[in-house]
Amino acid sequence: MAEHTKIIAVTRFDPERDDAPRSQEYEVPVQEDWKVLEALNYIKDHLDPTLSHRWSCRMAVCGSCGMNVNGEPKLTCREPLSNYGERVEVAPLANFPVVRDLVVELEGFLEKLGALKPWIMLAKQRAPEEGATRQSPAELADFKQFSMCINCMLCYAACPVVANEPDFLGPAALATAHRYNLDSRDEGAAQRAEIMRGEGGVFSCSYANECAEVCPKNVDPAGAIQQAKLANVLSWARSFVVRRRAAS
Amino acid sequence: MAPPRPPDRFPAGPRYRSYLLFGMGSALMLPLGFELLCALWALASGDAAWREFQAGLRHPLRIAGHAVAGVWLTWVALRFFRLFPKTQPFRLGPFRRPPDWLLVGGLYGVFAAASLALGLWLAGRIGGLG
Ligand code: SF4
Ligand code: FES
Repeated sequence: MAEHTKIIAVTRFDPERDDAPRSQEYEVPVQEDWKVLEALNYIKDHLDPTLSHRWSCRMAVCGSCGMNVNGEPKLTCREPLSNYGERVEVAPLANFPVVRDLVVELEGFLEKLGALKPWIMLAKQRAPEEGATRQSPAELADFKQFSMCINCMLCYAACPVVANEPDFLGPAALATAHRYNLDSRDEGAAQRAEIMRGEGGVFSCSYANECAEVCPKNVDPAGAIQQAKLANVLSWARSFVVRRRAAS
Repeated sequence: MAPPRPPDRFPAGPRYRSYLLFGMGSALMLPLGFELLCALWALASGDAAWREFQAGLRHPLRIAGHAVAGVWLTWVALRFFRLFPKTQPFRLGPFRRPPDWLLVGGLYGVFAAASLALGLWLAGRIGGLG
Protein backbone atom coordinates (compact mmCIF):
# COMPACT_ATOMS: atom_id res chain seq x y z
CA MET A 1 0.00 0.00 0.00
CA ALA A 2 1.38 3.44 -0.97
CA GLU A 3 2.67 5.46 1.97
CA HIS A 4 3.46 9.14 2.36
CA THR A 5 3.62 11.57 5.25
CA LYS A 6 1.10 14.08 6.50
CA ILE A 7 1.36 16.61 9.29
CA ILE A 8 -1.22 15.87 11.95
CA ALA A 9 -1.69 18.89 14.22
CA VAL A 10 -3.24 17.60 17.42
CA THR A 11 -4.63 19.65 20.30
CA ARG A 12 -2.78 18.77 23.49
CA PHE A 13 -3.86 19.66 26.99
CA ASP A 14 -2.52 18.34 30.26
CA PRO A 15 -4.58 19.88 33.09
CA GLU A 16 -1.64 19.48 35.48
CA ARG A 17 0.83 21.35 33.26
CA ASP A 18 -1.00 23.49 30.73
CA ASP A 19 -3.03 26.64 31.31
CA ALA A 20 -4.81 26.21 28.02
CA PRO A 21 -4.92 23.72 25.13
CA ARG A 22 -2.11 24.04 22.57
CA SER A 23 -1.39 22.43 19.22
CA GLN A 24 1.38 19.91 18.59
CA GLU A 25 2.42 18.69 15.14
CA TYR A 26 3.41 15.12 14.27
CA GLU A 27 4.77 13.87 11.00
CA VAL A 28 2.92 10.64 10.32
CA PRO A 29 3.63 8.11 7.54
CA VAL A 30 0.06 7.48 6.43
CA GLN A 31 -1.42 4.91 4.08
CA GLU A 32 -3.94 5.77 1.39
CA ASP A 33 -6.86 3.96 2.99
CA TRP A 34 -6.33 5.27 6.52
CA LYS A 35 -8.99 6.98 8.54
CA VAL A 36 -8.13 9.92 10.79
CA LEU A 37 -8.29 7.64 13.83
CA GLU A 38 -5.53 5.43 12.41
CA ALA A 39 -3.18 8.41 12.25
CA LEU A 40 -3.97 9.21 15.90
CA ASN A 41 -3.38 5.58 16.88
CA TYR A 42 -0.07 5.66 15.00
CA ILE A 43 0.97 8.74 16.97
CA LYS A 44 0.01 7.05 20.25
CA ASP A 45 1.73 3.75 19.37
CA HIS A 46 4.90 5.03 17.70
CA LEU A 47 5.50 8.73 18.34
CA ASP A 48 3.98 9.88 21.60
CA PRO A 49 2.36 7.46 24.07
CA THR A 50 1.13 10.37 26.21
CA LEU A 51 -1.58 11.30 23.68
CA SER A 52 -5.09 10.74 25.02
CA HIS A 53 -8.03 10.08 22.73
CA ARG A 54 -11.16 7.94 22.89
CA TRP A 55 -12.16 5.20 20.51
CA SER A 56 -13.48 1.66 20.67
CA CYS A 57 -15.41 -0.03 17.85
CA ARG A 58 -13.64 1.49 14.83
CA MET A 59 -16.84 1.03 12.81
CA ALA A 60 -19.02 4.07 13.56
CA VAL A 61 -21.10 2.25 16.15
CA CYS A 62 -19.86 3.14 19.64
CA GLY A 63 -19.81 6.91 19.12
CA SER A 64 -16.66 7.47 21.18
CA CYS A 65 -14.24 8.81 18.55
CA GLY A 66 -15.93 12.14 17.72
CA MET A 67 -13.47 15.01 17.25
CA ASN A 68 -13.18 18.21 15.26
CA VAL A 69 -11.19 17.51 12.11
CA ASN A 70 -10.15 20.70 10.32
CA GLY A 71 -12.87 22.44 12.30
CA GLU A 72 -15.70 20.06 11.42
CA PRO A 73 -17.17 17.55 13.90
CA LYS A 74 -16.43 14.05 12.54
CA LEU A 75 -16.30 10.43 13.61
CA THR A 76 -12.57 9.88 13.21
CA CYS A 77 -12.92 6.13 12.66
CA ARG A 78 -15.07 6.85 9.60
CA GLU A 79 -13.39 9.93 8.22
CA PRO A 80 -10.85 9.13 5.45
CA LEU A 81 -7.56 10.96 5.85
CA SER A 82 -7.49 11.24 2.07
CA ASN A 83 -10.31 13.83 2.32
CA TYR A 84 -7.73 16.28 3.68
CA GLY A 85 -4.58 17.96 2.48
CA GLU A 86 -1.04 17.56 3.75
CA ARG A 87 -1.84 19.16 7.13
CA VAL A 88 -4.78 17.94 9.17
CA GLU A 89 -5.92 19.56 12.41
CA VAL A 90 -7.50 17.33 15.02
CA ALA A 91 -9.09 19.01 18.05
CA PRO A 92 -11.48 17.92 20.79
CA LEU A 93 -15.18 18.43 20.06
CA ALA A 94 -16.25 22.05 20.39
CA ASN A 95 -18.80 23.06 23.05
CA PHE A 96 -17.49 20.56 25.63
CA PRO A 97 -15.01 21.05 28.45
CA VAL A 98 -11.74 19.28 27.69
CA VAL A 99 -10.50 16.69 30.19
CA ARG A 100 -7.21 16.01 28.44
CA ASP A 101 -5.90 16.29 24.86
CA LEU A 102 -8.79 15.07 22.67
CA VAL A 103 -10.96 13.75 25.47
CA VAL A 104 -14.03 15.80 26.38
CA GLU A 105 -16.23 15.79 29.49
CA LEU A 106 -19.65 14.24 28.83
CA GLU A 107 -21.11 14.45 32.33
CA GLY A 108 -23.22 17.50 31.45
CA PHE A 109 -24.76 15.72 28.47
CA LEU A 110 -25.49 12.58 30.48
CA GLU A 111 -27.30 14.64 33.12
CA LYS A 112 -29.43 16.33 30.46
CA LEU A 113 -30.20 13.02 28.80
CA GLY A 114 -31.14 11.40 32.11
CA ALA A 115 -33.47 14.26 32.99
CA LEU A 116 -35.49 13.47 29.85
CA LYS A 117 -36.11 9.88 31.03
CA PRO A 118 -34.93 8.11 27.88
CA TRP A 119 -36.54 4.77 28.55
CA ILE A 120 -39.95 3.19 28.07
CA MET A 121 -42.29 4.27 30.85
CA LEU A 122 -45.55 2.48 31.56
CA ALA A 123 -48.51 3.85 33.47
CA LYS A 124 -48.95 0.43 35.07
CA GLN A 125 -46.39 -2.36 35.21
CA ARG A 126 -47.42 -5.33 33.06
CA ALA A 127 -47.57 -8.79 34.58
CA PRO A 128 -45.41 -11.41 32.80
CA GLU A 129 -48.51 -13.46 31.96
CA GLU A 130 -49.81 -10.54 29.89
CA GLY A 131 -47.11 -11.40 27.38
CA ALA A 132 -44.79 -9.24 25.33
CA THR A 133 -45.82 -5.76 24.20
CA ARG A 134 -46.16 -5.98 20.47
CA GLN A 135 -45.18 -3.34 17.99
CA SER A 136 -45.95 -3.39 14.27
CA PRO A 137 -43.33 -2.48 11.63
CA ALA A 138 -45.39 0.65 10.87
CA GLU A 139 -45.25 1.70 14.53
CA LEU A 140 -41.51 1.08 14.57
CA ALA A 141 -41.12 3.21 11.45
CA ASP A 142 -42.62 6.15 13.39
CA PHE A 143 -39.45 6.57 15.44
CA LYS A 144 -36.76 4.22 14.09
CA GLN A 145 -34.71 7.01 12.54
CA PHE A 146 -34.45 8.77 15.91
CA SER A 147 -33.39 5.58 17.67
CA MET A 148 -30.19 5.28 15.62
CA CYS A 149 -28.29 7.80 17.77
CA ILE A 150 -24.89 6.59 18.98
CA ASN A 151 -24.31 9.52 21.36
CA CYS A 152 -21.26 10.64 19.43
CA MET A 153 -21.93 14.31 20.32
CA LEU A 154 -21.06 15.67 16.88
CA CYS A 155 -24.42 17.45 16.89
CA TYR A 156 -23.56 19.27 20.13
CA ALA A 157 -20.22 20.34 18.72
CA ALA A 158 -21.91 21.88 15.65
CA CYS A 159 -24.86 23.53 17.37
CA PRO A 160 -24.70 27.35 17.75
CA VAL A 161 -27.44 27.26 20.40
CA VAL A 162 -25.41 24.84 22.57
CA ALA A 163 -22.51 27.29 22.18
CA ASN A 164 -24.56 30.21 23.46
CA GLU A 165 -26.97 28.59 25.91
CA PRO A 166 -25.24 26.13 28.22
CA ASP A 167 -28.62 25.03 29.63
CA PHE A 168 -29.96 23.96 26.24
CA LEU A 169 -30.70 20.23 26.51
CA GLY A 170 -29.30 19.83 23.02
CA PRO A 171 -30.00 17.89 19.83
CA ALA A 172 -29.30 14.25 20.74
CA ALA A 173 -31.01 14.35 24.15
CA LEU A 174 -34.15 16.02 22.77
CA ALA A 175 -34.25 13.72 19.73
CA THR A 176 -34.01 10.71 22.04
CA ALA A 177 -36.83 12.01 24.24
CA HIS A 178 -38.97 12.52 21.13
CA ARG A 179 -38.08 8.99 20.01
CA TYR A 180 -39.57 7.60 23.24
CA ASN A 181 -42.63 9.85 22.98
CA LEU A 182 -43.28 8.39 19.52
CA ASP A 183 -42.82 4.78 20.65
CA SER A 184 -46.19 3.01 20.70
CA ARG A 185 -45.13 1.10 23.85
CA ASP A 186 -44.33 4.21 25.86
CA GLU A 187 -46.69 6.08 28.17
CA GLY A 188 -44.28 8.63 29.57
CA ALA A 189 -44.77 11.62 27.24
CA ALA A 190 -46.63 13.59 29.91
CA GLN A 191 -43.73 13.10 32.34
CA ARG A 192 -41.22 14.33 29.77
CA ALA A 193 -43.39 17.26 28.66
CA GLU A 194 -42.47 19.69 31.41
CA ILE A 195 -38.75 19.49 30.82
CA MET A 196 -39.10 19.33 27.02
CA ARG A 197 -41.19 22.54 27.01
CA GLY A 198 -39.27 24.25 29.80
CA GLU A 199 -36.12 26.36 29.92
CA GLY A 200 -33.49 24.91 27.57
CA GLY A 201 -36.07 22.61 25.98
CA VAL A 202 -37.26 22.27 22.40
CA PHE A 203 -38.26 25.93 22.10
CA SER A 204 -34.67 27.04 22.66
CA CYS A 205 -33.80 25.49 19.30
CA SER A 206 -33.68 28.08 16.52
CA TYR A 207 -33.46 25.43 13.77
CA ALA A 208 -29.96 26.14 12.55
CA ASN A 209 -30.08 22.55 11.24
CA GLU A 210 -26.34 22.10 11.78
CA CYS A 211 -26.92 19.02 13.95
CA ALA A 212 -28.64 17.31 11.04
CA GLU A 213 -25.80 18.26 8.70
CA VAL A 214 -23.10 16.65 10.83
CA CYS A 215 -24.93 13.61 12.23
CA PRO A 216 -23.14 10.49 10.95
CA LYS A 217 -26.18 8.25 11.47
CA ASN A 218 -28.80 10.41 9.72
CA VAL A 219 -30.75 10.72 12.94
CA ASP A 220 -31.75 14.27 12.01
CA PRO A 221 -32.14 15.66 15.53
CA ALA A 222 -33.22 19.01 14.05
CA GLY A 223 -36.23 17.32 12.46
CA ALA A 224 -37.03 15.52 15.72
CA ILE A 225 -36.92 18.77 17.69
CA GLN A 226 -39.23 20.60 15.26
CA GLN A 227 -41.67 17.68 15.40
CA ALA A 228 -41.45 17.74 19.18
CA LYS A 229 -42.24 21.48 19.18
CA LEU A 230 -45.40 20.83 17.17
CA ALA A 231 -46.39 17.85 19.36
CA ASN A 232 -45.86 19.90 22.52
CA VAL A 233 -47.90 22.84 21.26
CA LEU A 234 -50.74 20.50 20.24
CA SER A 235 -50.73 18.63 23.54
CA TRP A 236 -50.62 21.92 25.48
CA ALA A 237 -53.56 23.23 23.43
CA ARG A 238 -55.45 19.97 23.97
CA SER A 239 -54.91 20.09 27.71
CA PHE A 240 -56.07 23.73 27.76
CA VAL A 241 -59.31 22.83 25.94
CA VAL A 242 -59.89 19.81 28.19
CA ARG A 243 -59.36 21.99 31.31
CA ARG A 244 -61.78 24.64 29.99
CA ARG A 245 -64.38 21.97 29.20
CA ALA A 246 -63.98 20.35 32.62
CA ALA A 247 -64.38 23.74 34.32
CA SER A 248 -67.56 24.69 32.39
CA MET B 1 -10.34 20.84 32.78
CA ALA B 2 -10.23 23.36 29.90
CA PRO B 3 -13.45 25.31 29.28
CA PRO B 4 -15.50 24.56 26.15
CA ARG B 5 -14.54 26.50 23.06
CA PRO B 6 -17.19 27.59 20.54
CA PRO B 7 -17.56 25.74 17.23
CA ASP B 8 -14.61 26.46 14.94
CA ARG B 9 -15.00 29.57 12.82
CA PHE B 10 -18.21 30.48 14.66
CA PRO B 11 -19.95 32.74 13.80
CA ALA B 12 -18.30 33.78 10.53
CA GLY B 13 -17.62 30.34 8.99
CA PRO B 14 -19.55 29.16 5.95
CA ARG B 15 -21.38 26.56 8.06
CA TYR B 16 -23.13 29.28 10.05
CA ARG B 17 -23.54 31.93 7.38
CA SER B 18 -27.02 31.04 6.22
CA TYR B 19 -28.22 30.57 9.81
CA LEU B 20 -26.95 34.00 10.80
CA LEU B 21 -28.28 35.63 7.66
CA PHE B 22 -31.65 34.13 8.49
CA GLY B 23 -31.50 35.48 12.06
CA MET B 24 -30.22 38.90 11.00
CA GLY B 25 -33.25 39.28 8.76
CA SER B 26 -35.14 40.43 11.82
CA ALA B 27 -33.28 43.73 11.36
CA LEU B 28 -35.19 44.05 8.07
CA MET B 29 -38.47 42.87 9.52
CA LEU B 30 -38.50 45.64 12.12
CA PRO B 31 -38.54 48.62 9.68
CA LEU B 32 -40.86 46.72 7.34
CA GLY B 33 -43.30 46.11 10.18
CA PHE B 34 -43.08 49.78 11.14
CA GLU B 35 -43.72 50.77 7.53
CA LEU B 36 -46.79 48.55 7.44
CA LEU B 37 -48.13 50.28 10.55
CA CYS B 38 -47.48 53.67 8.90
CA ALA B 39 -49.36 52.48 5.82
CA LEU B 40 -52.36 51.45 7.91
CA TRP B 41 -52.21 54.75 9.78
CA ALA B 42 -52.10 56.68 6.51
CA LEU B 43 -55.00 54.66 5.10
CA ALA B 44 -57.08 55.44 8.15
CA SER B 45 -56.17 59.14 7.97
CA GLY B 46 -57.77 59.87 4.61
CA ASP B 47 -56.85 60.34 0.95
CA ALA B 48 -54.23 63.04 1.36
CA ALA B 49 -52.25 61.06 3.97
CA TRP B 50 -52.40 57.93 1.83
CA ARG B 51 -51.16 59.77 -1.26
CA GLU B 52 -48.34 61.28 0.77
CA PHE B 53 -47.38 57.82 2.02
CA GLN B 54 -47.41 56.46 -1.54
CA ALA B 55 -45.23 59.35 -2.74
CA GLY B 56 -42.74 58.52 0.03
CA LEU B 57 -42.46 55.00 -1.35
CA ARG B 58 -40.91 56.37 -4.56
CA HIS B 59 -37.81 57.58 -2.73
CA PRO B 60 -34.77 55.68 -4.09
CA LEU B 61 -33.71 54.60 -0.59
CA ARG B 62 -37.14 53.10 0.08
CA ILE B 63 -37.05 51.32 -3.29
CA ALA B 64 -33.58 49.93 -2.54
CA GLY B 65 -34.74 48.82 0.92
CA HIS B 66 -37.73 47.03 -0.55
CA ALA B 67 -35.57 45.35 -3.17
CA VAL B 68 -33.23 44.02 -0.45
CA ALA B 69 -36.22 42.91 1.65
CA GLY B 70 -37.74 41.18 -1.38
CA VAL B 71 -34.56 39.20 -2.06
CA TRP B 72 -34.18 38.34 1.61
CA LEU B 73 -37.81 37.25 2.04
CA THR B 74 -37.57 35.08 -1.07
CA TRP B 75 -34.44 33.43 0.29
CA VAL B 76 -36.09 32.90 3.71
CA ALA B 77 -39.10 31.35 2.00
CA LEU B 78 -36.91 28.97 -0.01
CA ARG B 79 -34.94 27.98 3.11
CA PHE B 80 -38.24 27.36 4.88
CA PHE B 81 -39.50 25.19 1.98
CA ARG B 82 -36.34 23.08 2.13
CA LEU B 83 -36.54 22.56 5.88
CA PHE B 84 -40.33 22.25 6.18
CA PRO B 85 -41.07 18.57 5.37
CA LYS B 86 -39.05 17.07 8.20
CA THR B 87 -40.74 19.31 10.76
CA GLN B 88 -43.97 17.43 10.11
CA PRO B 89 -44.89 14.30 12.06
CA PHE B 90 -44.29 10.97 10.29
CA ARG B 91 -47.97 10.25 10.66
CA LEU B 92 -50.81 12.69 10.07
CA GLY B 93 -53.83 11.04 11.72
CA PRO B 94 -54.16 7.59 10.14
CA PHE B 95 -52.01 8.57 7.12
CA ARG B 96 -48.25 8.53 6.58
CA ARG B 97 -46.69 11.91 5.88
CA PRO B 98 -46.75 12.70 2.13
CA PRO B 99 -43.35 12.36 0.42
CA ASP B 100 -41.02 15.34 0.85
CA TRP B 101 -41.08 16.20 -2.86
CA LEU B 102 -44.84 16.60 -2.72
CA LEU B 103 -44.72 18.91 0.31
CA VAL B 104 -41.88 21.00 -1.14
CA GLY B 105 -43.53 21.02 -4.59
CA GLY B 106 -46.80 22.19 -3.02
CA LEU B 107 -45.05 25.03 -1.19
CA TYR B 108 -43.25 26.12 -4.38
CA GLY B 109 -46.57 25.95 -6.25
CA VAL B 110 -48.34 28.20 -3.72
CA PHE B 111 -45.35 30.58 -3.71
CA ALA B 112 -45.30 30.82 -7.51
CA ALA B 113 -49.08 31.31 -7.71
CA ALA B 114 -49.06 33.98 -4.99
CA SER B 115 -46.12 35.80 -6.62
CA LEU B 116 -47.85 35.72 -10.00
CA ALA B 117 -51.13 37.00 -8.55
CA LEU B 118 -49.29 39.78 -6.69
CA GLY B 119 -47.34 40.72 -9.82
CA LEU B 120 -50.50 40.89 -11.92
CA TRP B 121 -52.27 42.91 -9.25
CA LEU B 122 -49.39 45.39 -8.98
CA ALA B 123 -49.32 45.68 -12.78
CA GLY B 124 -53.02 46.53 -12.71
CA ARG B 125 -54.01 43.44 -14.72
CA ILE B 126 -56.28 42.08 -12.00
CA GLY B 127 -58.16 43.74 -9.14
CA GLY B 128 -58.71 47.44 -8.88
CA LEU B 129 -55.12 48.74 -8.80
CA GLY B 130 -53.72 50.86 -11.57
S1 SF4 C 1 -27.97 12.68 16.95
FE1 SF4 C 1 -26.38 12.05 15.47
S2 SF4 C 1 -24.69 13.49 15.81
FE2 SF4 C 1 -26.05 13.64 17.62
S3 SF4 C 1 -25.18 12.21 19.10
FE3 SF4 C 1 -26.74 11.08 17.96
S4 SF4 C 1 -25.64 10.10 16.27
FE4 SF4 C 1 -24.28 11.67 17.09
S1 FES D 1 -14.53 4.16 17.29
FE1 FES D 1 -16.62 3.66 17.64
S2 FES D 1 -17.66 5.18 16.51
FE2 FES D 1 -15.60 5.55 16.03
